[in-house]
Amino acid sequence: MLLNAVVIVLREVLEASLIISVFLALSQILNRSLKWMLLALVLGLISGFIYAGTISTVSMAFGGIGQEIVNATINILIFIALIIFVYAIPHQTNQRCRQLTVIAIMSTVILAIMREGSEVLLFITGFIGVPDLLGPVLMGGAVGAGLGVSVGVFIYYFIVNLIPRYGVWVGYLLLLLVAGSLMSQAVEFLIQADLLTSSEPVWNSSNIIDEHSVAGQLLFALLGYEATPQTSQVIAYICSMTALFCVAMFSFIKRDRN
Amino acid sequence: MRRVGLFLFLSIMVMPVLAGPPVVEIEIRDHLFFPDEVKIPANTKVKLLVKNMDPTAEEFESYELNREKVIAGNSQAFIFIGPLPAGVYPFFGEFFPKTAQGKVIAE
Repeated sequence: MLLNAVVIVLREVLEASLIISVFLALSQILNRSLKWMLLALVLGLISGFIYAGTISTVSMAFGGIGQEIVNATINILIFIALIIFVYAIPHQTNQRCRQLTVIAIMSTVILAIMREGSEVLLFITGFIGVPDLLGPVLMGGAVGAGLGVSVGVFIYYFIVNLIPRYGVWVGYLLLLLVAGSLMSQAVEFLIQADLLTSSEPVWNSSNIIDEHSVAGQLLFALLGYEATPQTSQVIAYICSMTALFCVAMFSFIKRDRN
Repeated sequence: MRRVGLFLFLSIMVMPVLAGPPVVEIEIRDHLFFPDEVKIPANTKVKLLVKNMDPTAEEFESYELNREKVIAGNSQAFIFIGPLPAGVYPFFGEFFPKTAQGKVIAE
């Protein structure tokens, strides 16, 4: 049970900490203050508690597809926040863009913690009535959370300590991957809810990299890897990356012109 | 006339529900799936109704089906799957993967 708890909590924390650390590092390089972070962390945890506490009601809403709708919405909102972030961040001398950056960072942190945190909470609180297992689960969860946060801290310092020009590029590359993965997952939720039509998988790479394997799990956390993706997922993945890339380029070009 | 209109309108609203995909029920008890083998027709959309009878939460997950859904303790959830080509599609409970194992067989 201990090892299982480590893996589950690590997976969830890793997803949130990856995106948060990249945001923070880019803000740091591009001279953005981080004072709003703490507030966002607290609000994220509160939202996670509320989502976990109401998950049964949410699940049965909209004829039993409430959870998929909420999760897809969270992913889409984070994607929109990413777009706003890459648009606004090069223009920090502009007051409105400074505000937009703060809003984008705060909403991303809140939403990412809400979604991943609620799963961790649901997993752990289930053991409150099972005293024999609660100890190991809390212990494993703490180790998993510690590992996940450490990876985030590592990525943060890695990007911040690169030569700023390279740091920005590494950060943007990671944001592109996050964006593709978020939107492909959002589409998957909508297919699961039967709001989008399911199709045959575009490819099956499960004999090359199995999603059950450690490599598969890591690639999922980093790239949103799927061994058997649907056509609509691949389209969403490519389109969201392209959109983010174009907005980022446009914003940098606009700044250089001024 | 108005009542007839209302009746027709309501009938049309209800129709997609009645004509919806077949529902297959799975229960989670003591971190096991009952049944642990679910036979469904190939190339047909199916609605799984997963009832979690345990006090602990569970996450229904399947890489082969591309599905994941958290089900709180003592509650239930719907998951749409398919249409699937004939084959075996394993699923598991992410929170208790040692025991909670099952498969969907499309034939």
